[in-house]
Amino acid sequence: MEGKEKKVPDLFQKETSRRGFLRGTAVAAGSAVTMVTIGGLASRAAHAQAAPAAPKKDLMKYLFAERENCTGCRACEYACSVFHTGVVRPSVSRIHVMKYKDAIDVPVICWHCDDAPCVAACPTTPKSILPDPNHNGMILNEKTCLGRKCLKCMEACPAQYVNVNPDTGQPLMCDMCAGEPACVKACSEQSGNPQGPCLMANKLGFGVNLAFRDVTPNKAGADLLDLTFYPNVDGKRPTPAKTKKARR
Amino acid sequence: MTMAAPKGGCFGKVLEIDLSKQTYRAREVPDEIYQKAIGGNGLAAYFLTTEYKAHKDPLAEDAFIFIGPGPLNGTFCVSTRTSFAHMSPYTGLISHAETGAHFGNEIKWAGWDGIYIKGRSKKPVWLSIVDDKVEFKDATKIWGKDTEATHEAITKEMNDPYARTAVIGPAGENQVPFSCVIVERFRAAARSGTGMLMGNKKLKGMAVRGSKAVPVVDNAKFMDMANYAKKVAVDREAWQGIKRWGTAGLLELKHYKDGSLITKNYQTTWYPDIIKIGGEEANRKFWKRHVACNHCPIHCLKLGVIREGKYRGLIAEGPEYESGGLLGSNLGMTDFNSMIALIEYCDAMGIDNISTGGVLGFTTELVERGMLKPADLDGLKPKWGDGDTYMELIRKMVYKEGKAGKLLSKGVKKMAAEIGKGSELYAIQVKGKELAAHDPRGDKARAYSYALGSCGGDHHEGASTRGLVIFAMINSLSTCSFASALIWGGENAKITVGMLNPLCGWNMTEDDYWNTGKRILTMERIFNVREGISRKDDGLPKRLMTEKLPAGPKKGAVFTEEDTKKMQDEFYSFLGWDAKGIPTEATLKALGLDYAIDDIATARRVYKL
Repeated sequence: MEGKEKKVPDLFQKETSRRGFLRGTAVAAGSAVTMVTIGGLASRAAHAQAAPAAPKKDLMKYLFAERENCTGCRACEYACSVFHTGVVRPSVSRIHVMKYKDAIDVPVICWHCDDAPCVAACPTTPKSILPDPNHNGMILNEKTCLGRKCLKCMEACPAQYVNVNPDTGQPLMCDMCAGEPACVKACSEQSGNPQGPCLMANKLGFGVNLAFRDVTPNKAGADLLDLTFYPNVDGKRPTPAKTKKARR
Repeated sequence: MTMAAPKGGCFGKVLEIDLSKQTYRAREVPDEIYQKAIGGNGLAAYFLTTEYKAHKDPLAEDAFIFIGPGPLNGTFCVSTRTSFAHMSPYTGLISHAETGAHFGNEIKWAGWDGIYIKGRSKKPVWLSIVDDKVEFKDATKIWGKDTEATHEAITKEMNDPYARTAVIGPAGENQVPFSCVIVERFRAAARSGTGMLMGNKKLKGMAVRGSKAVPVVDNAKFMDMANYAKKVAVDREAWQGIKRWGTAGLLELKHYKDGSLITKNYQTTWYPDIIKIGGEEANRKFWKRHVACNHCPIHCLKLGVIREGKYRGLIAEGPEYESGGLLGSNLGMTDFNSMIALIEYCDAMGIDNISTGGVLGFTTELVERGMLKPADLDGLKPKWGDGDTYMELIRKMVYKEGKAGKLLSKGVKKMAAEIGKGSELYAIQVKGKELAAHDPRGDKARAYSYALGSCGGDHHEGASTRGLVIFAMINSLSTCSFASALIWGGENAKITVGMLNPLCGWNMTEDDYWNTGKRILTMERIFNVREGISRKDDGLPKRLMTEKLPAGPKKGAVFTEEDTKKMQDEFYSFLGWDAKGIPTEATLKALGLDYAIDDIATARRVYKL
């Protein structure tokens, strides 16, 4: 899982050490391959050309969730809605924490997929959602978005991440808080005893986002439930029937 | 006088539900009332003292349950909770039960300052509350199910994983007077008989989902203080242990250091076997994850799974200090898994851990002393540490089955009255309610909560005179005594007022904080005085006043008459009540509670006070 790897060089920062140079090259090659092989990025590339070449800050481009560390406190939802609306309002928070059987908390995040199925599915011209080239945040064009009539992005999202703004009917897209995600900050601020933060951001995706994103919240919950509560030494899971009987 | 609507923090309306007519309406509550009573338990105390006459039948059709968050719920304030308040069918007094999780905030986000439920449905129902819309759903099929199955069925029908639930189990349906409400599967609003009241109203549960935001008057100022409050809650060193161990860590602490871990129905506080069932053991063989309430950095709830034996695979919560005390050391348990199974079974059935533990401990001691015979208990012979028999007794209590079930489901006070033979000495209760897991002989400060708290033997009402006032505020703000009160230490009043003022547009001073707390305590007292409560009831059970602790760090300690007198005098004078524990007319006027002057005068005459 990705941590906050401050030492990984940003392509824009032109680190000169050999090690850094090699890493940078590898990533550059990786993203080139991605661009060639994965469709739906033409508009994104065009978007990128129009943007300023070098951002000044260390802007984060990907979100990660170490799901096992989530305590369900929803500090991320609080921070997200405060960042976007000024007050706490989980219904317009981009990030969500879903309870699974009330025994598991599943952080539901936008993984900022490199192939962005939501963008590919958006039927408008120009696209109503586009990732910002500097920080990968999904920027919604409220004027062109068709809202409740469409919501193709919601259907397309393999992580079932997208929620609808109850006021506008338009999708709630994670804009990465322009590269400094408030949720990540809130999560890391209150984690640490005894476990580390759940949410993390990074400048590089390394394809990890693609590996995680196909897991729906319910699937993630079921997996986590197994992973958390049933890793017995012999690898066997007790039968649910036995559990039920014991309760009576 | 015009009554203004609240500007912030509250919406100015409470959702009033009539289960008899299956109707609902928005009931307007003006800002002045919130300033006086805050919300949660305080608002309920206001409703109870203004709407009920003395000696109301707590199970009357028009008796109500008030589910109250407070102004801070749903805002950036760290960790907020919910209060379930009503006249208790168990004690006949005012009563409130607080619970964590996300339920209270969801009520606020649905645009309500609270839910006021009256009436009685003909058929079992559950309530779906989504913003302004309330639906009365048929609960015939889930009636009889345990709290977990009910929670899942309701969540499924809501078709919304973000809906928050509060449900009752079979204990509430069967009118066990210490049955509770289980919120979001693992948290309980217990001790007051809320489950019984809901069961009486044929209300199986409710699910709430909201999409609104709580209005804030001066957001910048509010966020400054709320961020500061959060930071204190994150950083304060003294609370790191609770984050790591939950309250289970206290089990060992109170055994080794404080000498206040209840053991075998208050026979002693020295229980070396605690190492087999305490926090350390839980950490070694049970716990799997930490779970937090809203916006809380403390995540004191621990979930685990039993990994061996006949309950293998059972996911459960705990032990907490109270549940591990009452259903652990109090019952002489030495098998960790059996103890957890008892705790989880209580949660599944929707019955209060504490009172259940108190009843089982009392029963076991009476059997030991020959005051109860197995023949009185359907042939069962409970003995310390016998988890299987305890499990069976709980089942009988929940279903009021057989002689044992009928007897035990009455609670220790009525049991002792029925059994006689001097068993009253072993009935550890105050105002009809079993005490929690802190023995006041070892930890004298706890006596404040047990003896002087409005709800009877409750541990959640403050451990000093000022503590009682603080807890009145906590239970009315519906904040958390850990993360959003005590953790702030000496800054508590300053931070609370510092958040409330910019949030609600009030001009509260720190003095007002204390006066509001006093007003709420006095309102609760008014209700209890009308029911005949006075100084004579504000004491501890005889056993704690006469039997010295036989072992442990506080060996020889006993709670004395002088301790009681000192505590009562100090508290009454701080609150402006007279020597009999009755609020004086001057105090009532000073606190703006003139409406109760006649009630108090009547009570004085009737009870010769």
